[in-house]
Amino acid sequence: MRTEEPRNAKTGTSTGGTPVVLFQLAGKSFAAELDRVDQIIEYREPAKTPRRPAHVEGVVEYRGRYLAVVDLRKRFGVAEPKPAHPAVLVLKGVGPDPVVGLVVDQVLRVLPLPPDGVLSPPPRVFGIRAEYIRGVANAAGRPVVWLDLTKVLTTQEAITLLA
Amino acid sequence: MEGRTLAKRPWRGRAERAVAQEQVLLFRVGECLCGLGLRGLWEVLSPDGVTELPTPSYQICTALAYRGRRLPLIRMSELFGMSAERVLPTARVLLVQGQGRPLGLLVDEVLGVVDVNPQQVGAMPTQASLLSPELFRGLFSRESQVVILLSEDGLGGMAEVAQFAEN
Repeated sequence: MRTEEPRNAKTGTSTGGTPVVLFQLAGKSFAAELDRVDQIIEYREPAKTPRRPAHVEGVVEYRGRYLAVVDLRKRFGVAEPKPAHPAVLVLKGVGPDPVVGLVVDQVLRVLPLPPDGVLSPPPRVFGIRAEYIRGVANAAGRPVVWLDLTKVLTTQEAITLLA
Repeated sequence: MEGRTLAKRPWRGRAERAVAQEQVLLFRVGECLCGLGLRGLWEVLSPDGVTELPTPSYQICTALAYRGRRLPLIRMSELFGMSAERVLPTARVLLVQGQGRPLGLLVDEVLGVVDVNPQQVGAMPTQASLLSPELFRGLFSRESQVVILLSEDGLGGMAEVAQFAEN
């Protein structure tokens, strides 16, 4: 994936910040570390699995194996249905399974979050408790919530995103 | 000529060692497409052909009278959290042997038998279901559909079935 991160011309390495994937959910901007994103794929209807958690839609085949598909809107208690063409972030190393699919409304772009541009979150951001947030940043004048997706996807506690 | 014949032998050997396919019965429980290996299957019956003994309808495991025997019957839709109001006309009872115990599985519809390459069976993601992982052998794809391959031993080892056997 092409990023907007500035690179050192001599070494070819990053010059600053953690590259993140910026995505939108229910009108708000969120970020996930780029190195946790294996791929971004088109949404396709998952096969239903029995007694699945409310936020799990089912499973899809991905590169010869199967991944659970989590609807982030449902995980955050958003009642409105997802858009007609959502995207799926294939995440690695964020839970008990090697990969998991995370349904988001739209993937915006990849950008670096400079260390001095990421603030510690207040107790709640958009209703989400600080323990699920790695930091808050600014992108083009809009707040971006950098999620701790491991915690979001592994705890059983309800998380509510306020409108 | 001789050299050519010798050169072909290893190729023939590989062809003969082709992976053995497993026959799997496909069936539907609610919105789930499921499979069960034929080796654990003993008989497929219409629900009309069996007598379900009176037990509370909400229970996952009820009782079935079959040729003078009382067997546990797992209502798969209840197990899967898809409580059905009534038994569908297409429903069937699969008689299987799980953990050495005969038991019946009430499913919504039997779809057929397919050949499955065991090497193509992938793991069931742990986040995909709240049921015990013991109930699943894995997942495989069939004509772009994902099939949940169930374990007859996992079903036979369910606490409800074990309790039934003890009573």
